[in-house]
Amino acid sequence: MKKDNQMLVGIISSVISIAVGLIFGFILLLILNPAKAGLGMSTMLSTAFSNMDQFGKMLYQAAPLMMCGLSVGFAFKTGLFNIGASGQYTIGAFFALVGAIGLKLPWWACLILSCVGGAIWGIFPGLFKALFNVNEVITSIMFNWIGMFLVNLLLANMPFMLSAYYGVGTTDRTAALSDANPSAIIPRGGLDRIFGNSSWINISIFIAVAVAIIMWFVLFKTIFGYELMACGFNKEASRYAGINANRNIVLSMIIAGALSGLGGGIYYLAGTIQYVLEKSILGMGFDGIPVALLANSHPVGTIFSALFISYIKVGGSAMQPNFSSETINIIISVIIYLAAFALLTKLIIAKFLQSAGAKNEKKEVKA
Amino acid sequence: MSVLANIISLTVIFAVPLLLVALGGMYSEHSGVINLALEGIMVIGALCGCFLLRSFDISGFGPSHPQLAMLLAIVVAAVSGMVFSLLLAFAAINLKADQTIGGTALNIFAPAFAIVITWAVQGQGQTTIQIPTWIRITQETFGMEKTDGFFATMFFKYQYLTTPIAVVLFIAAWLLMYKTRFGLRLRACGEHPQAADSVGINVYRMRYAGVVISGFLAGIGGLAYVIAVGSGFSSSVGGYGFLALAVMIFGNWKPFNILGSAFIFALFKVIAAYNSSIPFLPKFEGLKDQSSLYQMLPYIVTMIVLVFTSKNSKAPKAEGIPYDKGSR
Amino acid sequence: MADDYVIEMLHITKEFPGIKANDDITLQLRRGEIHALLGENGAGKSTLMSVLFGLYQAEQGEIKKNGQTVKINDPNDANRLGIGMVHQHFKLVECFTVLDNIILGVEDTKNGFLQYDEARKKVMALSEKYGLKVDPDALVSDISVGMQQRVEILKMLYRDNEILIFDEPTAVLTPQEIDELMEIMRGFKKEGKSILFITHKLSEIMAVADRCTVLRKGCYEGTVDVASTTKEELSKLMVGRDVEFTVKKRAVQTGETILSVRDMVVGSRVHENNAVRGVSFDVKGGEIVCIAGIEGNGQTELVYGITGLEPVKEGSITLRGMDITHASVRQRNISGMSHIPEDRHKHGLILDYTLEQNLVLQRYFEQQFQEHGVINSGEVRKYANSLINSFDVRSGQGPVTVTRSMSGGNQQKAIIAREIDRQPQLLVAVQPTRGLDVGAIEYIHKRLVEERDAGRAVLLVSLELEEVMSLSDRILVMYEGELVGQFDNTVSTEELGLYMAGAKRMEVKA
Repeated sequence: MKKDNQMLVGIISSVISIAVGLIFGFILLLILNPAKAGLGMSTMLSTAFSNMDQFGKMLYQAAPLMMCGLSVGFAFKTGLFNIGASGQYTIGAFFALVGAIGLKLPWWACLILSCVGGAIWGIFPGLFKALFNVNEVITSIMFNWIGMFLVNLLLANMPFMLSAYYGVGTTDRTAALSDANPSAIIPRGGLDRIFGNSSWINISIFIAVAVAIIMWFVLFKTIFGYELMACGFNKEASRYAGINANRNIVLSMIIAGALSGLGGGIYYLAGTIQYVLEKSILGMGFDGIPVALLANSHPVGTIFSALFISYIKVGGSAMQPNFSSETINIIISVIIYLAAFALLTKLIIAKFLQSAGAKNEKKEVKA
Repeated sequence: MSVLANIISLTVIFAVPLLLVALGGMYSEHSGVINLALEGIMVIGALCGCFLLRSFDISGFGPSHPQLAMLLAIVVAAVSGMVFSLLLAFAAINLKADQTIGGTALNIFAPAFAIVITWAVQGQGQTTIQIPTWIRITQETFGMEKTDGFFATMFFKYQYLTTPIAVVLFIAAWLLMYKTRFGLRLRACGEHPQAADSVGINVYRMRYAGVVISGFLAGIGGLAYVIAVGSGFSSSVGGYGFLALAVMIFGNWKPFNILGSAFIFALFKVIAAYNSSIPFLPKFEGLKDQSSLYQMLPYIVTMIVLVFTSKNSKAPKAEGIPYDKGSR
Repeated sequence: MADDYVIEMLHITKEFPGIKANDDITLQLRRGEIHALLGENGAGKSTLMSVLFGLYQAEQGEIKKNGQTVKINDPNDANRLGIGMVHQHFKLVECFTVLDNIILGVEDTKNGFLQYDEARKKVMALSEKYGLKVDPDALVSDISVGMQQRVEILKMLYRDNEILIFDEPTAVLTPQEIDELMEIMRGFKKEGKSILFITHKLSEIMAVADRCTVLRKGCYEGTVDVASTTKEELSKLMVGRDVEFTVKKRAVQTGETILSVRDMVVGSRVHENNAVRGVSFDVKGGEIVCIAGIEGNGQTELVYGITGLEPVKEGSITLRGMDITHASVRQRNISGMSHIPEDRHKHGLILDYTLEQNLVLQRYFEQQFQEHGVINSGEVRKYANSLINSFDVRSGQGPVTVTRSMSGGNQQKAIIAREIDRQPQLLVAVQPTRGLDVGAIEYIHKRLVEERDAGRAVLLVSLELEEVMSLSDRILVMYEGELVGQFDNTVSTEELGLYMAGAKRMEVKA
């Protein structure tokens, strides 16, 4: 099979996954509340385009999703399942906020810090896998929890980080950037005017797209990417080829961590949302999984799949109070479920394409 | 002394879900399927069990027949876990899916489904299902007088029907795995499915059995977890399914080792949950939000333990590899 | 009597996506005969036997037992009809005991619990009767390959099978063990059991079989009486043309020492003991040195130690005077070592990469193929095309073919092209012809000899005695991690066998 064909098959299988996911979601709505199911579904699918503010929100959310998707996808390409994007995202957000509120750094320096934070959290699954052969899935999950509690613990003991320090009487969230350090807010670059004074939009979507294109280049055009993917496809053969597989596992997890961390930085440096001391793991990292799977881990594909997931998430929030916004997660889980046996689906699609192609060729011969 | 009795008793009820779920994981993996969906199965089991308990509470059947109601809730949790686990079995066995990704899908599905359903049933924003108080096993359950001694605290302060059931299920799980034809065949499927197939064992069917048994145990484990935590069910089991996986790995896929490691992990969980009321734990002066520190503990311990056990782990050889009759 | 067929497979056709593995094949097994099934790798022997054993279902054709048409849908059906099989790759659960493996699938139970007493008695009786010595309580992972095969045979006997299929049973045995197995098979024949014996080794057929059915490329080529045929005739039937049994090569002209290994010790991944225990030898330019031995005597680890895939615990390795004992794989590659690995899917190729990507597997980082870390795809394509042409590697889309979709022979050719084109000083080739058809085998043998004639050092590890005898200039025998014999290529296979089995040994010094 040729490479272009593989790409086409991948896209078709993603579109089918999305369709099945949406149909499943609609059926669920019908069962829960038949009278309002139609309304709920149309809300989900139209909100993001209903006005410029919502459209801006979709782009704003798509940026961190894209980063988490790139993170998960990058790890997939090297044969690792980075289910720890959430923890890396949390630590990245924490580092960015410390830079912004504690150290009063400008926004770009805070974003670099967020990469560093995420990278540090990515090292652990990589190292544990390389040195002790501990499955990265278990390590990642454990470090999601450790990261969340650690950030809670640290923030509770850094009073200058909290909102209460700036005279707003809550200790359960970080200070608003507009109070603490407006220079840490990611610039809007005039986009807010285009988007009708949207409070969400900033240049982060461009940052994310640029990072996606850089990742594509790194993976497919450099010898570093060649090595990483070789390890991902076949660790033993890459050892045989003289590639240091363990080094690549750790490097790949560091990069994946940095990507997720940057996602956390982007999200919280927009200045619209404050970090709330959480009791459960942040969902953004997990949403990176369907983003990566829908894109077949292809960095450029990630741009589109992140936009899509963000699009239905924005719609999902607008479905309340008739339906819980968690309905979206059900749809996402269906998409992931279908992706789990994507190999089988792709095989069927490829066969179908082949037979269709064969027919066309015959027709051409006749003509 | 009463502190010790409290700790022992709490450790037992926190160990019960870990033990059950880890045994579930053991069954699934010995059949050759990695069950990362344990967390999700627990959520579904807890959801169905809790709803039943609540409806018994409202109908008045619960308060009048507390232990019978509890038994029914356990059965419902088990059955719902089995049904939900079929989704993993179908993907992993029939569709030869990536088992890790399939499990992740179910883990995302379960809590979202639980929230949506809880909303739909209890009304908007009501995301916690309250657990009735009558389900506890007390001295009154046996018609005894209420006392306060060491043993009274140990046996009657925190225990529920799930504890004796866990004891029975543990023994049954061990016997089934190592003393019966079914267990021998199941283990063969996880180690060398081609060998099992060549002597006429239906690998697909055995793997279904392994996954469904894990659903049975994890479903009960989900309910047992919610009861142990005691603050009602809000669509989450707090990563317990993953801790159970770690317990299973630390227990080297063997029942008695799993029993031991379940108690160790449960002890850390108890310390994490009750750190403020356990007198002999170190108190860090000037440190705010100590509970976060203690809550990290079980996860950090897990990592340390995995480092020491993963070198010579005895994982079933064929786990995670879809069995394809065609490829041999 | 001549037509007393116990099993008849008539006009069997079995298709897999893309290929017809069996095309109208007929095989008739007489009661109490040893019937050989001969064919090259990929001729369809295993598929045919899998159909008989119920692992596959044929699309066309029928199977008769004692003249009655039967349906065999799974191994249980086969078992009920008295058909048993010793598989080429043993179907034993390693962490189970011998007894557990034998009873698996036909266990006795009482009140639901497993019962072992009867089974143990029966196994011991069978073991006594046929001279198949086993320890019923040993774990399969702890016993030798020979004993594992006896367990497989006992599995059939325990099920009272009358029709016994042996799928390539001699590949893992020493010549002496092979003789023992032949004796056991004759014993079964005397008992009235019927035997199907799958092999591609002609001498074994001549020694033990009554009749022989030959397959080629999935097709039926005929059934012959062994007594009235010759090796040459059989091989012509099998390959479809005359085959030269010997490789033409000129007299050896050794140059300077290229590789020298001293007291090398390499650990094992499977058990506590060392797999290679103090091995010393040299390989000079212009010679093919062959490591012979039964599978699992440390050859794999020896190669891993030399090529850097496994750390060397003690001793030293020098390549052209340079100490490479602790050098990385990459350093060894650059210093002039090439390695045709034992398992081309595990080590040799990244199956999801394209052919061109695989052809630069050890060279992608060289100046020629990159600029500041960016791959120069034009150069890669040019280089790949030149290799594809000069080594005649065939594939669907040339350099951009995904390697997974190529045939085994062409995959191996790609590896050989890559390894030879690097113009190594030392070429380490491990079972380079495993699983290939005769044409590909001849080609690869020719290439190896060319390398030798060009003055390179060739270290060949092979389990096939024929290959060892025809290619090597010098033979080293490995047994339990040590070198126990050193010969030139005039030694007899019987003699080699004694050393391979550990019955004889000599001091081997470099």
